[in-house]
Amino acid sequence: MSAFLVMALAFLAIYGVYLAALVARQIPTPAAFFDGGGNLPGWAVIFAGSGLVVAGQGLGDQLNLTARYGLQASHLGMGLILAALIAVLLQKRLWLAARITGLTSPGELVARYYQSITLRAVMLMLSALFALPYAANLLSQAGEVVEAATAGTIGRAAAVWVMAFFLFLPAVIGGWRGTVLVAAVQAVLVAVLVLVCSVFAQTMLPGPGFPTLHVAEGILADRIPGVIQFSAGLGKSLPQGGIFTAVAIASTALSMIGVVLAPGFLYLGMTARAGRNPGFGAVWIMAGSGGAVLLIGAPVLAAHMGGGLPALAATMALVEPFAGLGLILLVVLAAQLATVVFVNAGALLVTRDLILPYVVPGQTPKSQRTTARIGLALTYALMAVLASFAPLTSAILAGLALPMAVQLLPALLGLCFVRWISRGAVITGLILGGLMVVATEAFGLILIEGLFVDLPWGRWPLTVHSAAWGLTLNVAAVLLVSIFTRSGAEQAHRDRLHDEFAARWPVDFGGHVGRGATWSLTLIWAFLALGPGAILGNTFFSQPIFTEGNAAVGLPSLWVWQIFFWLIGVPLVWWIAYRAKLGATSVEGLRRVDLGAAPDPARAPDWIATGLARVTGR
Amino acid sequence: MMPQTPDDALDRHALVSAVWLPSGFVALGLFHFGFAGGGPWWVLAGFAALLAGYAAHVVLNAALSSRFSRYEVALALVVYAAAGLALVLAVLFEPGFAAAFFLPVASGMAGLAAAAVFYMVTTSGARAAFGQFDIIRNNNPRRASGLPHRGGRK
Repeated sequence: MSAFLVMALAFLAIYGVYLAALVARQIPTPAAFFDGGGNLPGWAVIFAGSGLVVAGQGLGDQLNLTARYGLQASHLGMGLILAALIAVLLQKRLWLAARITGLTSPGELVARYYQSITLRAVMLMLSALFALPYAANLLSQAGEVVEAATAGTIGRAAAVWVMAFFLFLPAVIGGWRGTVLVAAVQAVLVAVLVLVCSVFAQTMLPGPGFPTLHVAEGILADRIPGVIQFSAGLGKSLPQGGIFTAVAIASTALSMIGVVLAPGFLYLGMTARAGRNPGFGAVWIMAGSGGAVLLIGAPVLAAHMGGGLPALAATMALVEPFAGLGLILLVVLAAQLATVVFVNAGALLVTRDLILPYVVPGQTPKSQRTTARIGLALTYALMAVLASFAPLTSAILAGLALPMAVQLLPALLGLCFVRWISRGAVITGLILGGLMVVATEAFGLILIEGLFVDLPWGRWPLTVHSAAWGLTLNVAAVLLVSIFTRSGAEQAHRDRLHDEFAARWPVDFGGHVGRGATWSLTLIWAFLALGPGAILGNTFFSQPIFTEGNAAVGLPSLWVWQIFFWLIGVPLVWWIAYRAKLGATSVEGLRRVDLGAAPDPARAPDWIATGLARVTGR
Repeated sequence: MMPQTPDDALDRHALVSAVWLPSGFVALGLFHFGFAGGGPWWVLAGFAALLAGYAAHVVLNAALSSRFSRYEVALALVVYAAAGLALVLAVLFEPGFAAAFFLPVASGMAGLAAAAVFYMVTTSGARAAFGQFDIIRNNNPRRASGLPHRGGRK
C-alpha cells in the first residue's frame, strides 16, 4: 500500500499546485491574493467550511475516541448541529458587516466595531494559535498515520515536511482563493471516502462489525455514563464507564463551535461571494452530511478499529488495496484540509492586520503580496518545525485553541445582534474566560503545577470541557459589566452598524410567537440531544418507558436516539436559516457605514500604556 | 450557455474536479476489485460510480447554467475510445476475459454512451443533438437552412 499511498498523495499535491497555478493566472490585483477579491465561489465556501468544521476537530482523533469509548464519543457528532446553528446565526451578519464597513478581516472588524486594540491583538493571537500549534498537531497526526501505513518506510517527520511543502505551494501560488478551492476539492473527497470506507468495512470485512463495539472493560460502549460525574478531572481521576457523560458531551460539543468562531472560518465566510451559501452549507452540508459522517460513519468504522486505524487500513487493503488506501487518504486529507486553511488564514491575517500596518507600513500592493508570501513561508516552516520536532508541545498548546475561540462568542454576538454588549464587557469576559480555560486545560495545569503548587483538579473537572468552564465565566462577566457600561458614546458608535442591520436586514423569526417558538424548540432539542436529557437515549428505544417489556430494535438505543435527534436537528437549523432570513446574502442595497478611522499604528493599547505609566511614573 | 468570465470557468473547473476525483477513485477501486476476482457485479458497480459522476456533472452544469466544455468532451472521448480499445484487446488476447467480463464491461460502456445520448437529447432535442455530428450538412450549407424554423444552421 505504500506505493499506492505515495502515488495518491503525489497526485493530489500536483493537482493542488495545478489548480493554484490556474488561480494565480487570474488574480486581478495583488490585493486579491489576500482575500480572493471577496468573491470566493459559494460551492467552495460551502464545502471548505463544512469540511473544516468536521476535519478541524481532528477526524482521526474522533475515530480513535469512538473506537475507545463507543457511542458516548460518537455522540459528539451532534455538536455539528450546534456548530451549524452558530454558523447560520453569525455568517450573514459578519458578511454584511464586512461589506458595508469595507473591513474584510475578522480581527479588523471586531477591533474597529469595539474600538479596541486589545481585541485586535486577541484575534491575532487566536489566528497564530490555530496556524501554528493547532495545525502542527493535525499535521503531526497525519504524519503518524502515514508512517504507520507505510510501515515506517516514510518517517513521521519526513511526511510532515513533505506534506507541509506541498500544502505551502498552492498557498503561495494561488493565495487565499487557491487555498479555498483546494480545500473544497479535498472536502468533497473526504466526504465520499467516509461513506465508501464505512460501507466497505461493514459489508466486506470479517467479524460482527457494527453495532458490536470492542471497548476496554469498564467502558460503556453503547451508553452515556451518567449526566455528570463528580470527578476531579482527567489526570487526577478517571470517570467510571467512560469520560463522556451527558454534561461532557454538551460541553465538548460547545467546544466544537470553536472551529466556527476561529478567525480562519470567519475569514472564509467574510470573503465569500453573495449567495445562498451560508444557509445551504450550514443546513445540508455541515449539519446534514457532517452529522452523518460523525454519527453514522464514525461508529461503523470504529467497530472495526480494535487494533487502531492503520491496522484497519491494512485489513481493508488485504481485501482491496484501494479500500485501505481510501481510509488512510481520508484521515490524511482531513488533516491537510484543516491545516491548509488554518495556516493560510493565520499567515494572511497576521500579515494584513499586524505586519503591513504596524511593522512595514506604506508598501505598494505588489510588495504587500511579496510580504504575504514570505509570511506564508515562515508560518509553514515554523508549523512544520513544531509538528516534526515538538509534537507534544503542539498537542498541549493545540488543546487551548478551540476553547479559546469559543470565548469570542459574546464578542461576535455583540457585533452581529446584541448592541448593548460593550467593549469593557467583552474584554473582561475574554480575560476571565481565557484564564478559566487555561486553568482547566493541560497547558495551564502543567504550568501551574510545574511552577507553583499541585492543583486539586485536573483537565475538564466534573467532566465539563474547558470551553464551557470559560464560557460560563465569560458570559457572566459580560452580562455584569454590560449593565454598567452599556450606554454612552461607545454605544452610539456601535449603534451605527446595528441601525443599518435593523433598517435593511432585519432578522425575522415570525414575531414574538415565532421567536419564542424558535428558541424554545432549540433549547428543548439541545436539552434532549446534547444536554442532560440525552441520558434518556441509553434505554429509550430498548426499554421504552410506560411499558413492561423490552423492544428488540437490533440496534443500540443510544444510536437510534442520536440519529433521531440528528434528523430533528437538521430541519431546526434549516428553520432558523431560512425562516429568519439568515441563510442568504445579497449585494443589493448595500450602504457604506463608517466605523471610524483605523487607530494610530504607533498607539499602544490603553491598558498597556496605563500599566506602563504606573510603573515608569514612579 | 457557457460561463461568462474566466473566474466562473475556473470555479466550474474546480467543481468538476471535485466531482470526478472521488467518483473516479471509487470507480477505480471497484474495477480493481471486480477484475481481481470480485466478479462482474463489481465491474458493473464501477460503471455505476462513473454514471454517478456523470450525473453529478450534469447537475452542476444545470446549476451553473453551463454545458460540457470542448476539453471535457475531448477527454471523455479519448478515455472512452481507450477503454473500448482495451476491451477489444483484452477479449482478443486475455484468455477467459470474454467469458467473465465482456458482458459487464460492454454493458457498462453502452450504459455510459446511452447516458450521454440521453443528456444530449434532453438538453438540445433530437434534431440538434444529431446536428452536432452532421458534418456533411455543415459542408453543404444552403441559405434556407439558416432560417430560424429550420434550426438556424449556417
